Amino acid sequence: MRLRIPSAQRLLLLALIPASLQAQAPDDGLLMPARTLSVGVSYGTEQWDEYWEGTLKRRNENIGTLTTRSATVMGHYGVTDRVTVTGALPYVWTRSSQGTLQGMRGLQDIAVAIKYRLLATPIADRGTLSALLVGQAGAPASDYTPDFLPLSIGLATRHASARFTTHFQSKGDWFVDGSAARTWRNTVSLDRPAYFTNGQLFLTNEVAMPGMFDWTVSTGFRKKRVFVPISLASQRTLGGGDIRRQDMPFVSNRMDFTKASAAVMYGLTVPTDLALQLGVSRTLRGRNVGQATAITLGVLHTFRFRAAR
Amino acid sequence: MTIPTIRLRLAVPAALVCAGALFLGCDDSIQTTEVLPPLDAASLDADAGNWRMIVLAAPAQIAVAAPTPVTSPAYVAELATIRAAQASLTDAQRASIAKWSGGGVLRWNQVMRELVARYNLPPAPIADGSYPVPDAENPFGDPNFPFANPAYAARAYSYVSAAQADALKSAWYWKYQYNRPSPAKIDATVAALVPVSTLPSYPSEDAVLSGVSAELLKLLFPAAVEEITRLAAEERSAALWSGKATSSDVAAGLALGKAVAASFVARAGADGMRTAGGSAVLWKSLADAATARGEIAWVSQETPARPPMLANFGQVRTWMLTPAQLVAERPAPPPSTSSAQMLLEVAEVKSVVNGLTRDQLAVAHRWNDGAGTYTPPGHWNDIAAEHVRDARMSEVRAARAFALLNMAMHDAAVACWETKFYYFNPRPSQMDPSIRTPIGLPNFPAYSSGHSTFSAAAATVLSYLFPASSTEFSALRDEAAISRLYGGIHYRSDIERGKEHGARIGEYTVRFAEQDLAR
Repeated sequence: MRLRIPSAQRLLLLALIPASLQAQAPDDGLLMPARTLSVGVSYGTEQWDEYWEGTLKRRNENIGTLTTRSATVMGHYGVTDRVTVTGALPYVWTRSSQGTLQGMRGLQDIAVAIKYRLLATPIADRGTLSALLVGQAGAPASDYTPDFLPLSIGLATRHASARFTTHFQSKGDWFVDGSAARTWRNTVSLDRPAYFTNGQLFLTNEVAMPGMFDWTVSTGFRKKRVFVPISLASQRTLGGGDIRRQDMPFVSNRMDFTKASAAVMYGLTVPTDLALQLGVSRTLRGRNVGQATAITLGVLHTFRFRAAR
Repeated sequence: MTIPTIRLRLAVPAALVCAGALFLGCDDSIQTTEVLPPLDAASLDADAGNWRMIVLAAPAQIAVAAPTPVTSPAYVAELATIRAAQASLTDAQRASIAKWSGGGVLRWNQVMRELVARYNLPPAPIADGSYPVPDAENPFGDPNFPFANPAYAARAYSYVSAAQADALKSAWYWKYQYNRPSPAKIDATVAALVPVSTLPSYPSEDAVLSGVSAELLKLLFPAAVEEITRLAAEERSAALWSGKATSSDVAAGLALGKAVAASFVARAGADGMRTAGGSAVLWKSLADAATARGEIAWVSQETPARPPMLANFGQVRTWMLTPAQLVAERPAPPPSTSSAQMLLEVAEVKSVVNGLTRDQLAVAHRWNDGAGTYTPPGHWNDIAAEHVRDARMSEVRAARAFALLNMAMHDAAVACWETKFYYFNPRPSQMDPSIRTPIGLPNFPAYSSGHSTFSAAAATVLSYLFPASSTEFSALRDEAAISRLYGGIHYRSDIERGKEHGARIGEYTVRFAEQDLAR
């Protein structure tokens, strides 16, 4: 029996914007069994009181602590044993503890991923190595503005990623994943006719968004009802300017970070098919992002559809 | 695995890639700047040498020596130099020609807007909680000099534009004194790589513009000296390579432009800007005066508290008003901070920001023009540039248009700052700390609204220049003004009184324009 408990955690979102925690992250190596659906909700809170203005780490007493909360609905469906479709949609609130700036709230981006197991091969008697291709796409789910960072709820760009993941599951309870992706992002429209970024004045409301590269390595163990992954994830933006001295962040900034995270998922015995998850993460290094600490709680229910075989 | 199996397995990722590409579309490139088609002026404005000057006493105040005859060996050699250059133009040189072909006034206006946006950042606080003051003698330090805030920017735009206008009027005067045609008109073997008119080319208008613009910009944005110098040289080279001017046309133009600039630099050195920042004594006296009148005095809501922006800018010399006129035009006092009217206005701001619609937020953002932007005066230059371009104005007429616009906005800035620091009135979020603002809160007193004052002055002048578009300008003025209520940073009376004030200030410039002999 595989994957009674969907895996947890860590969607790579930009650290100045809310990260929400989801089951079955696009960058893990796990798939749902065929004709199995899990749906769930999660609640996350992320805070920072220091951020990197370019490469300069600083506080800002006119922001104080920036808190981002999110409530996410998510679902994962095993189309076949080798194809899983996942989706997530967060509602996000932001606020700053000091200064006069108004927080924002709204539906953020709908994200969809299709995970496809290219191959799975036994490695001697030690375990199974599998390789996955993942296509991800996202788009704003509401007409929010990305032009009020760090209080904007997101970057409001349509984006698509191509990801390659390897997953080694030992005969015992432990596993190792490695994953990397290239992301392409569409232009973003602002409400204003001009903006200055990366040393240049742009006399347009359209902003070109640089692509991104990310990688994740994770390990952990998975027993019948317990799943504990820990991971290190890094994102690099392939272009974009730094936040200038004492300037506000901008949507196309070069937002880079390295983040450590851990999660625990536990499948209840009563009622069955219900799983709880708890995740934490901490940004270790960054550029044009906040040094965030995030906590996420979630609950997922799994439905198995008896198929005519 | 068999080949068919691999093909099947690759089909899924291939489908994903296709879906991703369709999803993103091809929309990943942007047009980064205004399009300026090659300038083919609607009129030569041959009488511009008679137009009324702004700072110079007369168009001939700076003498330009007579050029050598076009039959002279020296001139013939200049033509040969152009032919040689045109025979081996690089792609970069052709790009420079194209870059400047849309008109030097419009291009320098873009450059100015970029410089303002680059230098429009407030100093960061230092460890002891104080703010270092940008230092003109150390422009590359932290903070950079200048902090090109709206008041600084309004003055900067006005100096460059007014100096360009006087310099070009002088150039036109000498052009029609000497009537030396452009090289492409004299010699058929010199190509006209841009539209070349019958405008006399001595002294070169492009070289005049390069000299006057660079000298003023180096004063106003000293840390950008390298970029400014390079642009000015590129403009002169483009004039030569394109067949518009010979080296003697360029040399005479450059000298004239720099000489005119010197008069404006001298004026700028004595216009009160040096002391516009005020002092701790002044800041305290302004607060004490408001308190003595029984009013709540403005306080900075930044942490650490930041001194108010250019508290003495209201004393800076204007272009069109006497100091007595400036005081006479000052709006009547705002509602007392203890009045019922004030309570109502505070309540309105709170109600608006708490119930802000997406469209209202868009208006607040469209006109925010805060730190890191080209400021509200820059926004109005942006608007004006399209009208100047579409009217196919000659360089001298374009310079006049921007000079009128920017002198009016400078005067509006001085008048508004004089008002703000006279009344020293608190912002809505000081009156009611529960008010949170959907845009950044400016660090200076509320009454009256700078955006409203700038925009009314700008709309008044632009409606004079482009009467067919006056409805558009009025609508933009109103939107800019009300954006400050949506932004939660101004009361309605700040906006209404600011608009009235700005319109009155703009009329001073219109009256100047009505008598400057440009028809």
